[in-house]
Amino acid sequence: MNDQNQDGQLDALFALARARRPDTSAAEFAFETRLLARLRAQQETDSVWAMVSWRLIPFFAACVVALTLWHSQIVTETNDAEQMAYVENPVILDSWNSLY
Amino acid sequence: MEAALAGDDDAFAELTLRHKSRVFGVAARFARDAAELEDICQEVFIQAYFKLRQYRRDSPFEHWILRITTHKCYDYLRKRRRSGTLLSVDVLLESGYEPSAPEPSSPHPDLERLHAALAQLSPKERIVIVLLELEERSVQEIAGLTGWSMANVKVRAFRARVALRKLMENKK
Repeated sequence: MNDQNQDGQLDALFALARARRPDTSAAEFAFETRLLARLRAQQETDSVWAMVSWRLIPFFAACVVALTLWHSQIVTETNDAEQMAYVENPVILDSWNSLY
Repeated sequence: MEAALAGDDDAFAELTLRHKSRVFGVAARFARDAAELEDICQEVFIQAYFKLRQYRRDSPFEHWILRITTHKCYDYLRKRRRSGTLLSVDVLLESGYEPSAPEPSSPHPDLERLHAALAQLSPKERIVIVLLELEERSVQEIAGLTGWSMANVKVRAFRARVALRKLMENKK
């Protein structure tokens, strides 16, 4: 009985809230203008980022080439050093390799 | 619609003009103040602008934009819940809590109590109860707007009502 009474009160409150719709006319005023301004600002920012990232492509490509060259140089030097060590002392290197 | 799809901003502005009052009407039930209402509505139309190509014309544009509005409002409610601590209805009312964006002329004390209690609900419960009771949407429509099943909407509506009753009772 109490629950039914509370439900009735709640329904009455909902009806009251429905009848009193929030007045959004002031907030709606010139909304399209503000929206388009924000859209344009966002598009400008996006285009700046797109332009910067396209312009940075040669820089990153150069970095990749430099890193590849540097890496291949290190690999060559390491191989040379290993070969020299083998020539100077092959027994130690062979016994070390036989462990694996 | 064709012109808006082709990237004509003026056509999109026309589309906005035609549908903004529905979007504002729903968002105003969830926004805390006019600034938040403006933010929600702008984000809704910005998303619509960038995803216009995804709109399938098998249902009215209004349904599509209201679905985006519902999701945005839900995101705002979740964000608000994550960032702020939950206060009791009494504390909310005493702190000069503004129930929702633009208040009608003369605030009704019972309505303020209802809005403060609504603010205490979980985001999912609040979305369901507001759409069902204040916006008078059917369960099927709410399922379409939220992407939840109809059974899920019914269960959430029932739980929201029970929670709301408890909150209102505590306030007395």
